[in-house]
Amino acid sequence: MFKKILIANRGEIAVRILRACRELGIHTVGVFSEVDRSALHVRLADEAYPIGAAASRESYLSIDKLMDVARRAGCDALHPGYGFLAENPALPRACVERGITFIGPPAEAMEAMGSKTAGKQLARRTEVPTVPGTSEAMENPEEVRALAQSMGYPVILKAIAGGGGKGMRVVANDAEFTAAWRDAASEAMNAFGDSRVFLEKYLIRPRHVEIQVFADAHGRVVSLGERECSVQRRHQKVIEEAPSPVVTPDLRRKMGDAAVRLARAGGYVNAGTVEFLVDAELNFYFLEVNARLQVEHPVTEQVTGLDLVKLQIAIAAGHRLPFAWETITPRGHAMEVRLYAEDPDNNFFPSPGKIVSRHAPTGPGIRLDEGVYEGYTVPMEYDPLLSKLIAWGNSREETIARLRRALDEYTITGIRTNVSLFRRILGEPDFLRSEIHTKWLDELLVKPQPPATAARPGTEDAAAIAAALWQSSNARASAGANATGAKEEISEWKRQGRRGQLDRNP
Amino acid sequence: MKFEIQLEGANGKTTRVVELERDGGAYRVLLDGQRVDADVVEITANTISVLLNGQAFEVHVTPTLDGRLKLQTGPHEFTADVVDPRAWAGRKHGALEAEGRQQVMAPMPGKLIRVLVKAGDAVEAGQGLAVIEAMKMQNEIRSPKRGKVERVLMKEGQNVSAGEILAWVE
Repeated sequence: MFKKILIANRGEIAVRILRACRELGIHTVGVFSEVDRSALHVRLADEAYPIGAAASRESYLSIDKLMDVARRAGCDALHPGYGFLAENPALPRACVERGITFIGPPAEAMEAMGSKTAGKQLARRTEVPTVPGTSEAMENPEEVRALAQSMGYPVILKAIAGGGGKGMRVVANDAEFTAAWRDAASEAMNAFGDSRVFLEKYLIRPRHVEIQVFADAHGRVVSLGERECSVQRRHQKVIEEAPSPVVTPDLRRKMGDAAVRLARAGGYVNAGTVEFLVDAELNFYFLEVNARLQVEHPVTEQVTGLDLVKLQIAIAAGHRLPFAWETITPRGHAMEVRLYAEDPDNNFFPSPGKIVSRHAPTGPGIRLDEGVYEGYTVPMEYDPLLSKLIAWGNSREETIARLRRALDEYTITGIRTNVSLFRRILGEPDFLRSEIHTKWLDELLVKPQPPATAARPGTEDAAAIAAALWQSSNARASAGANATGAKEEISEWKRQGRRGQLDRNP
Repeated sequence: MKFEIQLEGANGKTTRVVELERDGGAYRVLLDGQRVDADVVEITANTISVLLNGQAFEVHVTPTLDGRLKLQTGPHEFTADVVDPRAWAGRKHGALEAEGRQQVMAPMPGKLIRVLVKAGDAVEAGQGLAVIEAMKMQNEIRSPKRGKVERVLMKEGQNVSAGEILAWVE
């Protein structure tokens, strides 16, 4: 087994990996950019080293700096987490050159499956059904436009190197094409350093169902079942659950077989996810392979009882998958919500800043994977994911009830979070019946909010009293958090302004 | 101390007057002039526990950019304007927004990666004025009204902080 693992990431996933290492008795080495010195993963690691400026390109995306830390600290393995360099084949190559084990698929498998176009070609070869579209990057926008016209709108443009909804645009008609092309390419360039984009037919109202696969280095490939991730905002997953309410044992076997076939053909090793779109008739179409651990891996862990990060480490160390997991069936139900530093009342604009106070939910069936704490300043440079709140129970109903209970307990002040979005979704009849698709949430959000459930008598009184008390405490202390949390003190400008407004009075 | 609280919730707006009097370590509370049975405790900086006739409420307070308060209790949310009535005579909102002239603020800190208009341009309500990148997402800042761009105060590539004025539209 490994002695010391370099965790080449930040935030909740760095903490998640660190915890698995600690349970296995493996030393952990963290890395941090200039703005992450106080991050939780740095506080919890056995060793931690600075790797440069806040901009990812100069820190978390720098293979040279990571390799330098690995050498200095004497690491024998590296875990990339998700995002950043996790799906960049240059990282496993650099590791191999230096005799460091990369905890993830080999570079060749990443190339054969990881990019959306390569994955699609492999799917066609292995007779896994795919969505119509180009399987290669297209350079000339006019050529792509002509193709879109012949295929019929709506179409979708996707970054070759994409993920997480970045560099992706749906084009409803010909008039929108030029702007969409420009935005997708420029966003892809900024996020991944690769502006190449390809085109696909846009399916109407599909569900997103993905299969978790694991492969060892000895030729065994297994499926650990599916996750339903249809609740998305702008192509970004917001809620994930396992099992999928629509997947029957028969469909689970078929999708699992297809995913395993694909992984085997691509020479895949370690954890990977094969994403599918599922239509109303339960036909499934290959979407892409995520050649890494997924953000939403905890829901699979909760219904299988497995620790996927520990499994990844064991497989990277050359261990065999220990038993016939082909027979695995999910037990109970698990659901995850992604809490972001976003302001749901203000078009979901990012809301970085200082967390002034925080209360985390606990109790039966609740798990919280996070990289934040009270007093922590959420930097503006990275992904807004704060926490993943996971609930599980015997049934979907019990799981949802637990999640709602935990969301009511979970409070963060100082910054805005999207917690109210989940309160709304978890009360929607469509969601409770699981009549959802990948555009469902975007469609819901343009509708007016339903009238709030009647508050208990006294709620408004209590709110007014609390506001008065807060104001009196903060006026007295003359210090409080300002809205951005960037500074401890209310800005002198603002205070003078408020004073001025009050002074104008008789 | 006496406060006027303008409260806005899902069911509309109300105005309440709250008086807090220190009574040893606790507070005596008057609501709209009436003494109420309220036991108020500050749990942490922004979390306040209120027992109102025995009914338990926990209220979480987050100040917003425009100097108001976001209040959350259980699934319910309110926005509050708090005014000290001793000095109150009709607080003027957005003192700078005279005669329909609107300031366009950066809603969050980030990097201004694109400015889409220049001074003198005619714009429609909702038209994109600039793009700010924060937390890996590009967010378009839109015009609050139909009109003319009077001034653009920022350049592409500049870092902006939340609340900073990007442009004026008149």
